[in-house]
Amino acid sequence: MINRFSCAAMVVLSLTGCASDPAPTEQLRLTEQALAQAKAVGADEQIAELAMAEAKLLQAQSAMQRDAFKEARVLAEQAELDARLAEARVLTQKSQDQLNELNNRINRLRKQLGEL
Amino acid sequence: MNARIPLLGGLLSALLLSGCAGSQQQSSNEALEAARSSFQAVKENSDVLRSAPKDVIRAGESLARADRLSSYWGSTDDVSHYAYLSQRYSEIAGQNSALNLNQERAAKLELERQRLQLALREAKLLSVQEQSNWLEEQMVSLATSETERGLVMTLGDVLFDAGQANLKASANRTVLKLVQFLQLNPRRVVRIEGYTDSRGDKLENLELSRARAQTVADVLIDLGIDSKRIEVQGHGESFPVAENASAMGRAQNRRVEIVFSDEQGRLGLAR
Repeated sequence: MINRFSCAAMVVLSLTGCASDPAPTEQLRLTEQALAQAKAVGADEQIAELAMAEAKLLQAQSAMQRDAFKEARVLAEQAELDARLAEARVLTQKSQDQLNELNNRINRLRKQLGEL
Repeated sequence: MNARIPLLGGLLSALLLSGCAGSQQQSSNEALEAARSSFQAVKENSDVLRSAPKDVIRAGESLARADRLSSYWGSTDDVSHYAYLSQRYSEIAGQNSALNLNQERAAKLELERQRLQLALREAKLLSVQEQSNWLEEQMVSLATSETERGLVMTLGDVLFDAGQANLKASANRTVLKLVQFLQLNPRRVVRIEGYTDSRGDKLENLELSRARAQTVADVLIDLGIDSKRIEVQGHGESFPVAENASAMGRAQNRRVEIVFSDEQGRLGLAR
């Protein structure tokens, strides 16, 4: 109980001291990297998560300039996963397209073999 | 004691956040519940566990963190945040698992495709050998000519079903020669162009010319030529090689032309 109470007290303290969060420089780098990678595999604005990631990264960067480090970290962390999800969606879609193409070819081959 | 701390907490938060905490609390609870059920779903899916164990673990860790934080007042934003991260990790795990399953399936299908391709090639060779008379060969205008567009090979109308895009079995020999040539010249690429005579509807002719060119391309691909080496175009009744007034002229105009690139893979400009 004491423990729990002191935790709660710490939360109150930490709320007043948001500025004491360290600057999330490394997280921003990771986020930028994840975005670049998502774009490299062909994610674009059509993928909702990519648009979200870009918007959050911009907000995170502006939070950094205001020294609102906690806000910047939260936004950047979310943006990183948005970007990674966008990347995964694109890759999955591509593999689905590849499967469909393979199935088409196999059907065509079967049809030709049947005709001979 | 048990009852007093939440009471105290509630009172304090009510004072501090002057009432807006209620809706925040609700939305963070909803986020937490959504994250929990997403995590539950991926955790119980053995495919996901197998293909994306790290993302599942991270989804669990973030969820546990959100859970822990939800027992403290004043941390609804953090609860929402970690619930969001957990949800995302679960979704990423789900996608990665789907990707993995697709890739495994594709690997199997690829083997199947290669097997069928070999079988087809052998069957076509057999059927060519079985044709003891090469009468068809004379009907096939297997003319290769050097033009300003480069090396051009013409497949005559007789190789196709009348008015259709299907290739006849009599085209096998020509097609196999073409495949052999492309395999011996791996840097060369081709543009397959379809043409018709001027009878009938213009648009239908265009469509038919394209479909015939595509059929030839499909057969080449099925016999192992990389689709990246093949372009397909339909020209309909444009660019006749003979007058359309006589039956003979029209037959000459109904054709598929295969334009070869030079040895460096440079194709002449499309018409």
